[in-house]
Amino acid sequence: MSNKLHDRRPVHINLLKISLPISAISSITHRLSGMYIFFLTLPLGLFLLHYSTKSEANFLVIQSLFQTSTIFTTFVAFSFLIFAYHVLTGVRHLLMDIHIGESLKASKVSSMLVFVLWSILVMLVMRAVVL
Amino acid sequence: MSGSLIWYIQRISAVFLLIYTTWISVFFTTTQIISFDTWMIFANSFLFKATTSIASVAVLLHSFVGLWTIGTDYLTGRTLGFLNTSFVQYADIIRNFYSFLYILWGSAFALFALFIIWG
Repeated sequence: MSNKLHDRRPVHINLLKISLPISAISSITHRLSGMYIFFLTLPLGLFLLHYSTKSEANFLVIQSLFQTSTIFTTFVAFSFLIFAYHVLTGVRHLLMDIHIGESLKASKVSSMLVFVLWSILVMLVMRAVVL
Repeated sequence: MSGSLIWYIQRISAVFLLIYTTWISVFFTTTQIISFDTWMIFANSFLFKATTSIASVAVLLHSFVGLWTIGTDYLTGRTLGFLNTSFVQYADIIRNFYSFLYILWGSAFALFALFIIWG
């Protein structure tokens, strides 16, 4: 009996079968957004810094680009919104490090709060970019 | 490296980047009209160049710790084995290749950043 149970013990973990609480979703999306930033937002930010400081003509190209809604502006806005999300969830983690909001209930509330704050930010940025 | 040192590297760099990001965001949101001149005065100031250089290195350290954690969490025999049991024997190779990739990418980023800031 015990041997049988031992044989059926899962060796490999199906990450998709684990149902995650909202605080875990907050944590895993922090990791995912971190990877996005590392591979896309950082080089994009560096490119914008390099291009906009090269000459006044280049600066004006960037400035006029941001006054219209294009795929490029959407990509830039999206990339920096992902960064903002990483910062918000990151602040939540830092607060937990200094023992603020560590309880199960508080971590659920703060996850929701971060998501609401970020949604407001998304709407503000969308309004600025689209209109 | 001790675990606590790695922990501190990630947190201290995070706090620095948080302050740096807040400062840049405040510049962009409070400056009414950003002309080329106001932007160049800001971007050419020693404070911006120095803090952006530190930020490039801080982001490198911060992301290396984070990406290393992700690799040791998800690119292991136990997790890859779920996709296909034949992956188990290659887990270490896959994880090492992934580490090589982000170290290369991150180092290239920091190097480019320093060149652009001071060049």
